[in-house]
Amino acid sequence: MSRERNRNYRQRVDEALASPRLQQALHSFGDAYVVARQNAFAGLDFEAMRSEIGSMKDRVREQRHELVAEFTRNAEAAGAKVFLARTADEANRYIAELAAAQGVKKVVKSKSMASEETHLNRTLEASGIETLETDLGEWIIQLAGQRPSHMVMPAIHMFRDEVATLFSKVTGQPEADDIPHLVKVAREQLRQGYFEAEMGISGANMAIAETGGIALITNEGNARLATTLPKVHVALVGLEKLVPTLEDATKVMRILPRNATGQLLTSYVTWIRGAVPCGEDDKELHIILLDNGRSALAESPQCRDALRCIKCGACANVCPVYQTVGGHVFGHIYISAIGVILTAFFHGLENAADLVKACIGCRACVAVCPSDIDLEGIILHLREVLGEEEGVGAGKALVFKHIMRNRKLFHSMIRAASLLQKPVTRGERSIRHLPLFFSSLTEWRTLPAIADKPLRDSWKSLPQKVQSPRYRVAFFAGCLNDFVYPEMGNDLVKVLNRLDVEVLFPKEQNCCGVPALYSGDRETAVALAEQNITAMLADQPDFVVTTCPTCTMSLQRDFIELLKDNPVWAEKARQLAEITIDVSRFIVDKLDGKTVFAEDPVGEKVTYHDSCHLKRGAGVWEQPRTLLAGSGREVVEMAHSDRCCGFGGSYSFTSHPDIAKHILNDKVKDIEATGASCVAMDCPGCIMQIRGGLEKQEKPVRAKHTIELLAESLK
Amino acid sequence: MLKQFIEALGKVGGQAAEVATVREAAAYIAGHVTGTLLLPSQPSLERVALAVELETAGVKVIKESWREHAASANAGVTGVNFALADTGTVVLDSTVEAVRLATTLPELHFALLDPGKILVDSLAAIPYLRGFHERAPRNYLAYITGPSRTADIERVLTIGVHGPRQLHVLLLPGLSTDYYEL
Ligand code: SF4
Ligand code: SF4
Repeated sequence: MSRERNRNYRQRVDEALASPRLQQALHSFGDAYVVARQNAFAGLDFEAMRSEIGSMKDRVREQRHELVAEFTRNAEAAGAKVFLARTADEANRYIAELAAAQGVKKVVKSKSMASEETHLNRTLEASGIETLETDLGEWIIQLAGQRPSHMVMPAIHMFRDEVATLFSKVTGQPEADDIPHLVKVAREQLRQGYFEAEMGISGANMAIAETGGIALITNEGNARLATTLPKVHVALVGLEKLVPTLEDATKVMRILPRNATGQLLTSYVTWIRGAVPCGEDDKELHIILLDNGRSALAESPQCRDALRCIKCGACANVCPVYQTVGGHVFGHIYISAIGVILTAFFHGLENAADLVKACIGCRACVAVCPSDIDLEGIILHLREVLGEEEGVGAGKALVFKHIMRNRKLFHSMIRAASLLQKPVTRGERSIRHLPLFFSSLTEWRTLPAIADKPLRDSWKSLPQKVQSPRYRVAFFAGCLNDFVYPEMGNDLVKVLNRLDVEVLFPKEQNCCGVPALYSGDRETAVALAEQNITAMLADQPDFVVTTCPTCTMSLQRDFIELLKDNPVWAEKARQLAEITIDVSRFIVDKLDGKTVFAEDPVGEKVTYHDSCHLKRGAGVWEQPRTLLAGSGREVVEMAHSDRCCGFGGSYSFTSHPDIAKHILNDKVKDIEATGASCVAMDCPGCIMQIRGGLEKQEKPVRAKHTIELLAESLK
Repeated sequence: MLKQFIEALGKVGGQAAEVATVREAAAYIAGHVTGTLLLPSQPSLERVALAVELETAGVKVIKESWREHAASANAGVTGVNFALADTGTVVLDSTVEAVRLATTLPELHFALLDPGKILVDSLAAIPYLRGFHERAPRNYLAYITGPSRTADIERVLTIGVHGPRQLHVLLLPGLSTDYYEL
């Protein structure tokens, strides 16, 4: 890995974290967005709409050669010229040569991410052509000499006073930092440009094969001017913008503004086919279809769904990492989740290396993507690829390969660590301070001590009180439950026994493999998957019950993917996935057990934190609330209940503790604002993070696993 | 459907006015215009002799050399091919350049719509969208939903950036029944 690159990146992270104004702006934008989006989809079936977009875009990928041919034929029949540019360079050169041939001195541009991707302005300016961005946000960042920090709102990172300073330089007089005034200044200043320019450059939201036309979805009206007044119109269009028919284009038009800004429709949707009249003459229309890595993306089975993207920017709007550091850190040219992926293919894996690790894996982006892209899954895959290319990191690799894969060694080392930590814990359950260079680990949250006795060692002495069990289930504890929070295992047994379920603990179970997988060590993840499958299926349990949703996703999703190429293992993985179930869902959906806890109602006011992998991975969020309310607790909702807590395993320890801390602080504030005395959740990782933050900040709120609270109800 | 259209248009900052005669429409426009007005030639507006009515009402109407006058014009007036109720959208075949000039450069855009030409939504508009493409080899079609807007500075919604600051849709019954006619 390039140290230089990483140093620059770290510096940008620090700068962003030191800018509370930016964070505040992105947070309140995120909040407003969620509400606006919800209203915009009222009465519509988002899931159905997005699966239509997803499958339409897949068809486009499969039939791209035919569709390019059809589009080209129709566009040329209408008097346009179509050029297929394989690289950014080819596209830029085509435009620069065209401009030279036409004697173009000035170009007006409406917003085009594709031209940002190719750095078109640089090329044109190097050939002595003045380029004027006319989209307000693009103009602002052009004046500031920056790049967009959001795909839809390029200047979202800037504030009115900064804009006023920039505009004052243009007009040569002080401009007030009043937004309507600044907008008026832009209108006046840019007006003349449309008349002077000999060429207008636009992007396109859709290129419709059926008609050979393009469509632009815009708000400001500058694209209409830039495509009307100058004699030459150049549209630079990413190949992924192709759609087969007007029906498909209309579907994109119906979902894009709703998901981008919460608008039912933008002010303008402009459908342009062919060389339309221009003054006394006809326009000269050039459409450049840009490949630049898109064909490579189409050939990657693990990543190709990213080509479905319709560039709505929503994956940024909801991303806790984006909200914390902004698009100049969590992005290259394209930003946020989709940016991580597109950067890898359009601008090289090298430029994506830091971004790939900056994602905390919360899947908030996946939930809002109108093109149904498993963004987090693809980012995870890229992390694996990078793990292979750049190495996982010497220390980590050693741990994963030689220690984790050998369960006995791994577990005896954890036991040893429990003894080593004795001096710092002073007999307490939490580590509040650590000596010397470890101290940063407990700066902003306490950490739990490793338990004296892991769950696996005390299991035999756990009395199981079930006469004739309804089910025999195997408990997959995961490392945290086993070695850090063994008491949750006791509670699980107590609760499930009460519901006539016998619980087994297969001793051969090992780490679920997520830490290795998320660090890019696929080989170790495969080895662990095989160990765990063997262990968990050995006693032929009716179900495999989990208390950690990250483990659940591992058993349900990752094992299948990891072992798909080996038919024998693939079948076993499928069997395990089928019977794996998260404990809250098990109790509600399979045991119908909620009434049991009502016998001794607890009046406590509880708020609930939705763990990322539970809500957006396993789709469980109602069941724990049902159980808590059913036990007589008053459940109050916190704001952003399903926003990530900032744990993310090694994310919060080694990869991005600084970002994780900010995300945790947001969570602590939301919890505190409810006035609840307890926050419940269904994930030991979240407990480690949230309990640690609450303890460190000395908040009078306890953080508990739902299973612990249910066990309390049975006392 | 008319009610839904008017409501949706209002939500995006457009204004709807129901007028009974072309004279009333001209009077409404005259009441808002403060400078010259671009009037591209359009069959429906010619049929009802809007130009004459506007001039009678005292409006300075530009009926040719639009490019020359576009930059300084205060308003533009057009017909509407048809409208979409759910989003408050007016659809304008803008292939004729003068229509584009009249709806992009001036501060005010007046659009005369026959209330009988309102479709439920953009899905219902697809056959007509296709029809436009079949009838003419080259097209510039515009779905216009409210005035021009931006939120590019601090995400504060501001109306009227590069395009019209005001969009008035004048609902005039009996203007046109042809969806392909502006
Ligand atoms: S998974 Fe979460 S952190 Fe990662 S890109 Fe998506 S929203 Fe951002
Ligand atoms: S990946 Fe999905 S959410 Fe992100 S910009 Fe593309 S379409 Fe929108």
